[in-house]
Amino acid sequence: MKHILLATSALVAVAGASMAQDLPQAGTEWFTDAEAALAARLETQPITARAKNVILFTADGNGVGTNYAIRLFSGQLEGGLGDDYVQPQETLPYSALVKTYSSNGQTPDSAPTAMAMNSGVKGKNGMINVMDTVAVGDCAAGAEAGTKTFAEIASEMGKSVGVISTARITHATPAAVYARTVNRDWEDNSLLPEGCTQKDIADQLIDQMKAGVIDIALGGGRQHFLPTETTDVEGKAGKRTDGRDLTAEATEAGAQVVFGDEDFAALTMGDNAPVLGLFEASHMKYEYDRTGEPSLAEMTEATINALSSNEEGYYISIEAGRVDHANHEGNLYRVLTDGKAFADAIAKAMELTNPEETLIIVTADHEHAIAFNGYCGRGSKINGLCMGENEQGTEHTGEPNLGDDGKPYTVVNYLNGAGAVVTEQADGTWSGSRPDLTEEEATDPDYVQQALIPLSSETHSGEDVAVFARGPWAHLFRGVIEQNEIFHVMNYAVHAE
Amino acid sequence: MNRRHLLSVLPALALAAPLRAAEEPIRLRELYEKDLSFSDIALDAEGRRIPIWGFMAPPLKADSVFFVLTNRPMAVCPFCEPGMPWPDDILAVYAKRIVDVVPFNVPIVVEGVLELGDYVDPELGFYSKVRLADATFRRV
Repeated sequence: MKHILLATSALVAVAGASMAQDLPQAGTEWFTDAEAALAARLETQPITARAKNVILFTADGNGVGTNYAIRLFSGQLEGGLGDDYVQPQETLPYSALVKTYSSNGQTPDSAPTAMAMNSGVKGKNGMINVMDTVAVGDCAAGAEAGTKTFAEIASEMGKSVGVISTARITHATPAAVYARTVNRDWEDNSLLPEGCTQKDIADQLIDQMKAGVIDIALGGGRQHFLPTETTDVEGKAGKRTDGRDLTAEATEAGAQVVFGDEDFAALTMGDNAPVLGLFEASHMKYEYDRTGEPSLAEMTEATINALSSNEEGYYISIEAGRVDHANHEGNLYRVLTDGKAFADAIAKAMELTNPEETLIIVTADHEHAIAFNGYCGRGSKINGLCMGENEQGTEHTGEPNLGDDGKPYTVVNYLNGAGAVVTEQADGTWSGSRPDLTEEEATDPDYVQQALIPLSSETHSGEDVAVFARGPWAHLFRGVIEQNEIFHVMNYAVHAE
Repeated sequence: MNRRHLLSVLPALALAAPLRAAEEPIRLRELYEKDLSFSDIALDAEGRRIPIWGFMAPPLKADSVFFVLTNRPMAVCPFCEPGMPWPDDILAVYAKRIVDVVPFNVPIVVEGVLELGDYVDPELGFYSKVRLADATFRRV
């Protein structure tokens, strides 16, 4: 009741201010909605208790621009115009912009960005949890320059640790929760240089499960746990050349190991046995193509429920790993559907946790070379053509805007990638022009957006990403921060007196 | 067939020929259900010559009649992994002639005889579930 009274008094105060000014616009919905939002913000109080739990959500490649596209898509899925839609993470009370560059890259890859969040320092592109005094690939020097991770700190505090990704569980973002490597590509032993004593990433995961640091690991990447002479449940061969079956070793060590949605659903969670779920040979499927695998929200729910039995709390890293891959393909549709699945997982975590004790952080590791055209009328499909603004009303005219070449263009393009309009000709020269395009073609789930510079894979960009947060010490996220500060907020929150 | 019968079917043949020539290419994805089992379209077209729209993946071998058709351009992401795996929804093409390579991001229509069922190429070791044999292709 006290809370309601406070909220009411804040609203009265905000409304009173505008009424006193006698503004003609004060009665409009835009105005009153904004007053209500301001009143809610006035009531938000920082939570300064120690954080029992920390959940770090990362959508790989989901910078401010990509997040914007997913917002519109989600809103349009519900029948709205899209731009006024609010994603679950956008309801969190605190946010900041994040600078994502790495030690040696204006544009980062996912290894040093994940290291920044899990170790509190920036690193070099290609390396995970190894300090930047070391050259990429230097096994000997790397062995002496590893960091201590937030998962290890949390584990020493008695907390459980979960790591979830829709990419391979040995891919950069999840690997930074449990591994140290001078080369992110060493996901199994087959690429380790001769004489290198560093263990491959899959091997390190099993070690960390045996050591009690990692309690639950869910994602793709079976191939890195199986030897070349063994095929998995889907008939795909492993990649290990040392003859080891790490899934069998995990089972022998007491872990439950599952490979599909049915055995995942049948897991006995919460009995303190580690869980290893490997749902694909390589990455899990895009959400649009998903079959026989749990969704990100289902993996999130099961992990939170299982680890909540630990009275000391937990740390869970949850990655939507394939927003990035679809961006690399220039295939916006799968960016959007994987981004919506990410938001669904966040909503599930918000539903299952109490902000008084659980710090939820939602961010991305880096942005992509995604770009947005104008001037599109409201309601233009984010994955469709940029339609004209309607001066007589709100929703677009239904007539596409045209470039000076007389052809329509989509709302979203990429600066580079497979959709380049310049292509290699039979004589080896490069030339081309924009193909004509219909709304039906543009909104096809397999459509690849037009791009400028021809590259076999669209690139990351160094543009800022956002961080959104709620819970203990979430108010420390404000302004423009370095990416490695995310670790420091997490570390402060779990130690605060 | 007597003359009377021939005359009766001629208009139909005349109609059928241009229709067949203008047969709309299907998308590669239409051959598969979501669980990657064959669709009714694939089962109905087995053994028949059909056009399919897609992209030529960078060839595994030079001067070959073989290439892989993909649903979307086979972008090679340097950060995804070394040795990018093939998507599940691909199609092996055995062309009539040595293939003139088309860039991976230029759409093509391939026309050939649809073959279904597991097959391992004896030379390349490439496993395929579905193929177009005796194929020709063109840029679109």
